[in-house]
Amino acid sequence: MLTHATQRTTMKSDDRNINWVQEPRLGLAGRSYLLLFVQGLTTTLRHFFSRKKTVQSPEQRHEIPDPSIYRGVHRLNRDQRGRVKCVACFLCATACPANCIDIVAAESPWTDREKYPQSFTIDELRCIFCGMCEEACPVDAIELTSLYDLSGKSREEMVFDKEKLLSVYDRTKDAKPMRTSRGEGRGAGDGE
Amino acid sequence: MTNHQHILTLAVLLGAVGLWLMLPRGGARGRAVGTVLGIVALGLWFSQFHGLGQWTADGMFFVLAAIAVVAAVGAVTSRNPVYCAIWFGLSLLGTAGLLLLAGAQFIAVATVLVYAGAILVMFLFVLMVAQPEGKASCDQMSWEAGVSAAAGIAMVGVLSVAIGGILAPSCPAMPPIAPPTQEELAAGVLDPHQVARLGDELFGRRLIAVEVAGTLLLAALVGAAVIVNQFSGRRHDGQQKTV
Amino acid sequence: MPPVLESLLKIAVLVGGLMTAAAYLVLVERWIAAWVQDRLGPNRVGVPLTKIRLFGLGQPVADGVKFLTKGEFTPGQVDKILYFVAPVAIFVAAMAAFAVVPLGSVVLPASWGFDGPVRLAVAPGLDVGMLYIFAVGSVAVYGVVLGGWASNNKYSFFGAVRSSAQLISYELPLGLGILGVILATGSLRLDNIIVEQARSGTWNVFVQPLGFVVFCVAAFAEAGRLPFDLPEAEQELVGGYHTEYLGVKLMLFMVSEFLHMILAAFLIVILFLGGWHFWGLTGSAEAVSWPVALLRVVVLLAKVMGVILFFMLARWSWPRFRYDQLMEVAWKVMIPWGLINVVVVATWMEYGVQLARPWNLSAAQGMAIVGWGVLLLCWLATTIIDPTASGNRPRRDLSVNDNCSE
Repeated sequence: MLTHATQRTTMKSDDRNINWVQEPRLGLAGRSYLLLFVQGLTTTLRHFFSRKKTVQSPEQRHEIPDPSIYRGVHRLNRDQRGRVKCVACFLCATACPANCIDIVAAESPWTDREKYPQSFTIDELRCIFCGMCEEACPVDAIELTSLYDLSGKSREEMVFDKEKLLSVYDRTKDAKPMRTSRGEGRGAGDGE
Repeated sequence: MTNHQHILTLAVLLGAVGLWLMLPRGGARGRAVGTVLGIVALGLWFSQFHGLGQWTADGMFFVLAAIAVVAAVGAVTSRNPVYCAIWFGLSLLGTAGLLLLAGAQFIAVATVLVYAGAILVMFLFVLMVAQPEGKASCDQMSWEAGVSAAAGIAMVGVLSVAIGGILAPSCPAMPPIAPPTQEELAAGVLDPHQVARLGDELFGRRLIAVEVAGTLLLAALVGAAVIVNQFSGRRHDGQQKTV
Repeated sequence: MPPVLESLLKIAVLVGGLMTAAAYLVLVERWIAAWVQDRLGPNRVGVPLTKIRLFGLGQPVADGVKFLTKGEFTPGQVDKILYFVAPVAIFVAAMAAFAVVPLGSVVLPASWGFDGPVRLAVAPGLDVGMLYIFAVGSVAVYGVVLGGWASNNKYSFFGAVRSSAQLISYELPLGLGILGVILATGSLRLDNIIVEQARSGTWNVFVQPLGFVVFCVAAFAEAGRLPFDLPEAEQELVGGYHTEYLGVKLMLFMVSEFLHMILAAFLIVILFLGGWHFWGLTGSAEAVSWPVALLRVVVLLAKVMGVILFFMLARWSWPRFRYDQLMEVAWKVMIPWGLINVVVVATWMEYGVQLARPWNLSAAQGMAIVGWGVLLLCWLATTIIDPTASGNRPRRDLSVNDNCSE
């Protein structure tokens, strides 16, 4: 027997909110199962003899169709003078859903900005590669590259610090140019 | 009464006492003692059977017989119904092996197929589905342990004293059973058309008996279908309208 | 050669061959799965410690080593004894069934100490060959049931319950499919069935197509292959009855599955596809000299491999049945078809020669025409009557409330 409480939560069969769907009736061909039999086997055989899509990984590299939208390892961009572009505004760290970005800000030695990141670490093991940091950055300092085969021998090795992130930029700047020059130029003529 | 008949009687009595001790009698003790007694009885019992034929066949016989007997004891003494069923299945396999050794291929295979393959799996099925939360207390003990042991002793005692008396080489009244000659084997057990002959016999001379048995089973099947339909009648009717 | 030694030799060859075959069939299965999915499949592992790849032929060895060296962990909740017994039971049963599978007979020189032809089967003297396979196959259910029950896990248990019901149900159409062949041959012995087909030159599939269909479907179900792999439907039951197993015990379950598949393929070939017979190649005498015997073994194994390939392709071709559909296919389609097949074959065996004479046909031609006609009629009738139409869709007049209130 149902208790009162469950009865109230159970929908009656004549409830107007229920949309009763009729199963479509199969024709003679469908009911004979032969059509499905032939269809299944021909599909399988077609794929069986088709060209294979596998990329033989270490020897062949996977071609990424559009590196500018791929979400791989992070990099910290440099500006035209080779300095880190980041202004330590913490927007990326705030946007990060995995809380994997850790920034220590300090007063900038340069005159064109107030702060710069004294240390900037990303825990690549915690990162979920969602690209929110890239979206949030007001000066396009952090970007996701098209490097997909990230690996390391220890957990410590996978925590990327500022130097490593900048070196990723040096490695990938030819393959994937910086998206904008936003944040450049402001006070570009200033001295150290 | 000759000497070995004394030994056989002793073995059977010991076995009965051991079995009684081993049966789960609801809090009764002495299962270890019973096991020891049972093993001693089995040893004594087997020691009185010899001179059957070649060592391979003999060895196979003793191994299979031991499996069958030990498994049978396990089937009645286990507390867990699932284990009882498994022991019973093992006992059936041992029996089937003995039958195969004796040349009764069809009966051996039919035993495995019908009992071990179909009926026992149904047992297991019911046991597992019916008692998912554990064993009921009434299933864990044997009722009428004394009567069971007495019935067992009567059966095994009569059979083993009778057959054991015949097989004993020292028994002057009966000549020892000789292994069958090659001609006898060729005419009976090793006949390539053994099963065909069995079929001829069953569906020729004994046709009426087979048909009566078949009709009985059919009646049972119909009865089961009727009983099942009583319980699920309403829902079943509702479904039939759409089909 | 003493008979004991001969038997031991045959057993050694059989066990070794089957284990190797099972291991390599895993590789073949993975290849085919990959090719059907536009991938390449395992192609790396070759000779260890070198760069030689051999198309991945070292993979089974690597798999075996992995299974064997895995930590032996026993889950805490299991029934210790039955947990160990189950994989052994299923493996022994799967292996034992091959004892009566014949590969032909060969006449060896008398100088080697053989008198009479050597039958290439472990237990050639067993007159009840087909029934023996049935009996041993029914014991294999224990492994599944016990494995599922001893694991003490609801998914394992569901798998075991499903499996036992499925295996018991499909044993009936399996038997009915075979019955026609046995009626036509007059023997339960597998080598007699092959010789009969070789002698007449007509494989049983040509004259009993209905029996072939019933047997094939039932064999798929008994082997637990898709589209009948309900016992271990991964998407619903994690892994079915062997969810809680790992290491060597899991390997025993896996190997047994492949052995079941090999056995099903052997039976399909032997019963319906002529065994070692091929027109103009192998002759039809029962015992032959060794080159012909070798050719026969090759033909038989090639056919078996073909059937196994079909098993593997079928896995990726059709969706799995729902459980009630599975049961309905067994009880409402396959068993009636099997019964019809038995009746048709028995009638034809009795009156076929007289019926075929006025049409100027041989008995085999007449049987073929009748067989295919019956298959067509049965299929058509099933299509029109549609006994498997499901009545378990949600319906307005049969809601949950109405049922519970009674």
